[in-house]
This record gives sequence, structure tokens and C-alpha cells, in this order.
Amino acid sequence: MLRVGPLSASTTESMGTEYQRIVRRRILILSVLPIVLFVTVIVGTFIGTTGPIGPGIRTATGEIQRISFEDAVDAILHGHGNWPFDYHAIFWTQRIPRVLLAVLVGASLACAGTAMQAVFRNPMADPFIVGVSSGASVGAVAATLSGLAAFAVVGTFLTPLLAFCTALLTVFVVYRLGTVKGKVYVDTLLLSGVAMAAFLGAIVSSLIYFARQEFHRVIFWLLGSLSMQSWTADAILALTVGVGVLVIFLYSRDLNALLLGEETAHNLGTDPEALKTIMLIVAAVMTSAAVAFTGVIGFIGLIIPHMMRIVVGADHRVLVPASTLAGAIFLVWADAIARTVISPNTLPVGIVTAMCGGPFFLYLLRRSRVEGEK
Amino acid sequence: MKFEVRNLSYSFGDKKVLRNISFEAADGEFLGLIGPNGSGKTTLLRCMTNYLETPEDRILINGKPLQSLMPMELARTFAVVPQSSSTDFVFSAYDIVMMGRIPHMASRIAGHRKSDVEIVRAAMEKTDTLRFASRPFFALSGGERQRVIIARAIAQQPQGLLLDEPTVYLDINGQFEIMDLIKKLNREEGISVVAVLHDVNMAARYCDRIALLSQGHLEAIGEPKEVLTPEIIRSVYGVDVVVRKDPFTNAIYVMPHSTVTVAHTHGTRVHLLCGGGTGGPVMKALLDEGFSVSSGVLNVLDSDYQNAEDLHIATVAEAPFAPIGDSAHTENLKLINSSSAVIISPFPVGPGNLKNLEAAKSAVKTGKKVFVLPPEAGKGIDFVGGKADATVKELIRSGAIQVDSIEDLLVRLSRGGGG
Repeated sequence: MLRVGPLSASTTESMGTEYQRIVRRRILILSVLPIVLFVTVIVGTFIGTTGPIGPGIRTATGEIQRISFEDAVDAILHGHGNWPFDYHAIFWTQRIPRVLLAVLVGASLACAGTAMQAVFRNPMADPFIVGVSSGASVGAVAATLSGLAAFAVVGTFLTPLLAFCTALLTVFVVYRLGTVKGKVYVDTLLLSGVAMAAFLGAIVSSLIYFARQEFHRVIFWLLGSLSMQSWTADAILALTVGVGVLVIFLYSRDLNALLLGEETAHNLGTDPEALKTIMLIVAAVMTSAAVAFTGVIGFIGLIIPHMMRIVVGADHRVLVPASTLAGAIFLVWADAIARTVISPNTLPVGIVTAMCGGPFFLYLLRRSRVEGEK
Repeated sequence: MKFEVRNLSYSFGDKKVLRNISFEAADGEFLGLIGPNGSGKTTLLRCMTNYLETPEDRILINGKPLQSLMPMELARTFAVVPQSSSTDFVFSAYDIVMMGRIPHMASRIAGHRKSDVEIVRAAMEKTDTLRFASRPFFALSGGERQRVIIARAIAQQPQGLLLDEPTVYLDINGQFEIMDLIKKLNREEGISVVAVLHDVNMAARYCDRIALLSQGHLEAIGEPKEVLTPEIIRSVYGVDVVVRKDPFTNAIYVMPHSTVTVAHTHGTRVHLLCGGGTGGPVMKALLDEGFSVSSGVLNVLDSDYQNAEDLHIATVAEAPFAPIGDSAHTENLKLINSSSAVIISPFPVGPGNLKNLEAAKSAVKTGKKVFVLPPEAGKGIDFVGGKADATVKELIRSGAIQVDSIEDLLVRLSRGGGG
């Protein structure tokens, strides 16, 4: 028989305090993350070959030169001084827009990844799942190989523009393939995305094959890099990230309900069909814009939401802001490493994200598994 | 909450799944939807939850068309419990129940009010799920999960519950636990229930009324005893059943006893002397082999009398608790005479039915084949101080055949009337 009698006071109380503990922890993490992001941005700005933190620059005489913190701050705030390098220009045209680009791209990918994992009800989904990366690659590689990218004004924006357009076009085709009579079938969508990625991947490979001399430039884009930083890119991404994160956050409770299945989501009064379409559009625009400026930076959209879910739980009202902030923090640090490890050269940041993210992710996965068994 | 379904049809592509279904589920009622696999019960439920789109005027809820209500309004009117729920994402049981408050949230990003927390706590207390509130949902057992889902349904504060085979993946104690809980909500809180049920006996036990679907149309609707008759069940499920009353709950229950009705009787009739329930398995075995069977003499309240009736076997009956009278005895002898063989099941013999063994004795004398089945190990049949055992021994001495088992009996019978 079912025991429906009154529970012992201790059981009820322990449940209450445990839940309060979880809520307090979530609030704590949500208030700490913006502070960490702020500190990260400041520190990230000072890290690099020409920064106060970093390997320094070898001058013509062979000595290693490093700018002091005071001088760096002075350069940023007051402009040109008596330094061997134009630190003011380095900070304002390269370092600061680059760190901001990392913030915005990291936020885009992590937030879109969170939404895609919910829509596909699969913790292994990522923002590229519907073909964004392969679509953007075709556009970017085509732009690079066409030779037009070499022309100054056209070149700067041709690659991102073409990449953005082909990315969105690909998502649209995949979306159409996964939709029957107004109903989005996520499993069909997933398979269409995989097939599309394979097909477009082949196009990219053949383009590279026939234009071997451009190999290095193309690969650099495909591996993902923040070296195309510009204030214009920052401004455009600020817009897509701002709107995208807001929309996804507003649909938090709908995403929560969707994780239990579309029928349950319907029965809880939400509209899963509208939700899936809105999330796909928002995530596609956010990721396409990010990828257009940086190339394919993998792993962030997969591991950050996953990591944050382990830390704050699966409730999207907490998870969406937490992932967005954590994605931004993570990419700034990854880029700082990319800029310094083989200084004065720069690694594609995609390599760093995968190298740091992979093992860390495995550690978290393993730990949560082991704790779950306790 | 009152549901009206009016002339509802539904198709998946070309396949018609529901045909012209009309019924009502009254406020406060516990209505069961039953039917064989593929009869359309789950589709009907999904139409009622508006998960499947139906024409505007076919389903009314509290008198209003289903589609005229906003999704959130709908979710405040009734809650749905699926067969089972799972998710790859880590939610605590508490999180899952709290989702029941979604239809009551003031805005998209509103936090939980104190009242929400209280409602969730009460729902979890009612379903005895509070003690694992912080455990991850996926780590719970099937029964615990289903209780959490019901807690979520309660947290929706609905007028009605729609359930789709809520116990299908549970073991037997889990099944009763869940059904008792739903019944309690129905009786004590006045929550209307419409439940798709797989198990006919669950439906008979818990439902006020049952709607039986067959191949997409409504075959019957009414109280369990009106719907669950051997005739209706046979025509819908294609099985022969016996319908009895559960001695402890008075609910009716349905006992299948054969999926094939005997296609060809070969006309050979055997007569069975039995009693005390020892005859049931023999009757069934003989009928399945194509024999026609008669039995006697049985007192009206004897369980073999009930068995004979359920299997439509001709029986010589005597009044309850009365010893076998002369007219019944004569009737019995007549049936023995016209039969091709006589079988004695190991029935308990008392002063009242000793005459059945006397009848067997006279049968042996006239040269009839008489077969004697052995009693179960350790079970005596003699309640008349040795007289019964002595009579059986005498029967065997004078030509009756002792068989080892029912199988042995059938083998001997098929060898051309024994021998």
C-alpha cells in the first residue's frame, strides 16, 4: 500500500535545506561569473607578446622587452608615449577588439549550444549540428580562393559575409529537410545536418585540393581564429549576441519542459513546434555570425553548456546566463594561450579550445559519473 | 471537468485510426479507455489532450471547444500522465514536479513564489515522493518516477487527469500503488480521470465506467459489468473468458481461458462426476480436445457448478447444501447412460454426494468405460469414514480404469473410447 501519511519532520526539513543549498549555490555562481568575466577581460587585454603579461618582444639588439602595467594602462588611456612600439594602437586596434571578439564569440557559441542541446534533447548536440560550420566553411573557402579576399575593402568583409550567407542557407535547407507539414522532426533534422555536413565537407576538401597554394590560409580559417578582430565585427556580434541570448533566456521554461519530450512540453502548456523553430533560427543566426568572423571554433558550444549543467543544474533560467558567461570567459583564456604559447606566432584558437576543453570535459564527465554512483 | 467527444474521426495519412467516436466523460468520473493494441485508445487520448489536431467542434471541454482554450489554460484544466518519462538531463525529482507550475507562472521568466513551493511540497507529500526530492529523476525506479510525474500533475492543480497506460511498465505492486493513488485523487479531491488502461481487470476494478474501443470505433461504454461480458470480450479480443466477481472487492474480473474457440466438436460426449472445483481443469481439457461434456450431480453453490456454467456444460444440479435427491440421481444416471464414457474427478465425497460414486458403480455394471483420476498428493477424498475409498477400490476391481493424469486420460480416450 502507498504510504501517504505525514512524513517525519526531519525528512521534510532536510529536503527543504538541501533545496535551499542548491538555490544559494546557483545564485552564488550567477553572481560570481560576471565578476570573473570582468577580471578575465582586463587580464586578457594585458596578456600577449606586447603586454605586461607574456613572453615579451625580442628587440633588434636581442634583449627581451616587456611593457610595465603602469605603462600599459597609460598607453591605453592616454595614447602615444615614448615607447619603442605604438602600444596605444596595439591595444585599441588589436588587443581590446580581439578580447571583446572572444567574449562575444564564446558567448554566442555557448548560448546557442545550450539551446541546441535542449531542442535535440541530446547533451551531445552543439551549435554546429544543423550545418552552420560546414555551410560557413564553403562560403569562406570560396571567398578566400576566389582571390577577391585579397582586395582591401572588399576582402575584409567578403569572407565573413559569404560565410554568413552560406551558413544560413545551409541551416535553411537542413530545416526544410527536417520539417514535414509544419512539424519539425529533430531526429530527421539531426541526420540531415550530418549528411549535409559530409556533403559540404567534400566540397570544401575539393576546393582546397584544387587550390593547394592557398592551403595554409584556408586551414587557418577552418581551425578557427580570432585574428580577424575589428570593432565592426564586435559591433555586429554585440547585436546578435544581445538579441539571441535574450530570446533564448526568455524561452527558458519552455526549454525546461522540452527536455522531458515534446508531448510533455505540449501538455505543460508550451508550444514545442514554435519553440523549436525559434530556437533554430536564433541559434543559427548567432552561430553563423560568430563563425563568419572567426572560422570554426569547436568544442565551446558542446562543453560549456555541459560543464555548466554539471555545476548549476539543467534549469535553463540559470543555465542560459551561466553558459553564456562561461563561454565568454573560456574563449578569452583560450585565445590568450593561443597568442602566447608559440609567440611571436599565434596558434589557431580552435586548437587550444579542443586541447584544453577535451581533457577538462572528460574530467568533469568522469567526476559526475562517479558521484552519481555514490 | 467534463469532456464531450462528438463524432470524432482521425486518420494518420490514409489510415483511419478513429471512426465516429462519441461519448462523454462526466465531472468527477473515473473513465477507463480499453481496447486491444492498435484499437486507437492512445490516439483518442492524444486528440483529447490537443496534441493531435482535431476539427474545432469535435471535442468539448466543460462545454467549450478544446481549441478555444489557450495552451496554458488547457494545462491548468487537466494534466497528462504518460506511460513513462525519461530524460538524459539531470533534473531532481523536485525540479520535475516544479515544472507542473509552468502553466501558472505569471511570466516567461518569473521565479517561484512561496505558494508554488508550498503546492509542490504538498503534491510530493501526497505522492510520498518528498523523501527523494533531491535525487536525480533518472536514478529513480519506474514506480518512483511515475509517482513523481503524478506529483507534477497534482502541482498543475488540474480539474482532470488524463493518463496513458500509467502502469504499463511497472511491476504488480507498483501498478496497484499508482492506481490506488489515482483513485484516491479521484475520490477525495474530485479530480476527473480519463485513463487509457491496458489491463482489463485494472479497468474493471478502478473505473466507474469503461469505454471499449475496437478497430477505431467505440464498441461499448458503460459500467464494467455492462461492458466486460464474455460475449463482448470475445468479439473484440477474440478470447473466451469467464467473468467472475472478485470475492474481496466485489469488482468483476475477467479470466481468459482460451484463445481458440473449439472449432470442431466430434460429438462424442463424456460425463464427468466431479465437485469442489476438481472438475474445472478436466472440463476445460475435454472441451479443448473436442469432446462434448456433461456433469453432475453438483450443488448449485459448488465451484464446479460455476465452472460448468462458465463453460456452458450441461449439468445435473441439486439445491445448495442439499444431499443428492432421487430425481437428480435419476437424471444423472440418464446422462451417464447416453454418454460414451464416465470420468470421475477426485472430488471430496461426503454423505451428501456419495450417490455420485453409486452412479459410477452402476455405470461399470452396464459395461460403460469409467475412468478414475487420482487425487492430488496428500489430499484425501473420503469424508465418510472410509466408505468412499472403499467404493473407488471396488470400482477399479470391477473394471474402472485408474489413469495417472488428465493427459493420460486424454490419450486413453482418444484410443477409441479407451481400453
